[in-house]
Amino acid sequence: MRRGAQGWGRGLCEVQAGSGLCVRGSVPMATAAEGLSEAGAQPAKQPAVETAEEAKEPAEADINELCKDMFNKMATYLTGELTATSEDYKLLENMNKLTSLKYLEMKDIAINISRNLKDLNKKYAALQPYLEQINLIEEQVAALEQAAYKLDAYSKKLEAKYKKLEKR
Amino acid sequence: MAAAGAADAQARFGHSVKGLLTEKVTSCGTDVIALTKQVLKGSRSAELLGQAAKNMVTQEDAILHSEDSLRKMAIITTHLQYHVEQSSNLQDQLSHLLK
Repeated sequence: MRRGAQGWGRGLCEVQAGSGLCVRGSVPMATAAEGLSEAGAQPAKQPAVETAEEAKEPAEADINELCKDMFNKMATYLTGELTATSEDYKLLENMNKLTSLKYLEMKDIAINISRNLKDLNKKYAALQPYLEQINLIEEQVAALEQAAYKLDAYSKKLEAKYKKLEKR
Repeated sequence: MAAAGAADAQARFGHSVKGLLTEKVTSCGTDVIALTKQVLKGSRSAELLGQAAKNMVTQEDAILHSEDSLRKMAIITTHLQYHVEQSSNLQDQLSHLLK
């Protein structure tokens, strides 16, 4: 079986002779023609009947344009496939950056709080003696109040006894 | 090798070269696409990104709550500073009165 393709500039030939030789690929047209002619020089000895189809090919410029278009579209598709994942990673990166900024703000706030609390502790330490005096005064006032209540109760008892004695 | 070539040629009997070439180009394109998808699948990027997104969602609430708490704490600390400052002023006045 022999087939010949023409019109592609470089011929694509597929030659299979009775000797088992199989050539496939792009070969120059002259070599293909020679191969065809050599194969045709021994028709009597070939047991199989070979048929050939003449393929009508489009013009070269269209093929080139179509090939370019095809590769461009393939490249666009593959780029899109890979860009999707890449964009996901970029989104994750942005989210991580925003989170780190948030943590930096929280760190600043925490530093301010720490500084303020240290100042507060110092001022509280300075006020501590006065606060203890205030506690002491409060206890003494409470004791005085109890003493005043007791005195008041005793004086009322005394008054009642006096009145009783006066009535007799 | 020759037998395999013969088998291939018989399988393609009746097809034009153009058709065979188109078929070959289509299969190559499909193979490239499948390879790309397999590379992406093998990298487990979708799995990792999904896990990272879940962690981020879980973390976001905690971060916002923590930030809110810190801001409240800052306000409370500022108020405490005002109180301590007022106490210090009163202490000065008291010591001045006692004199």
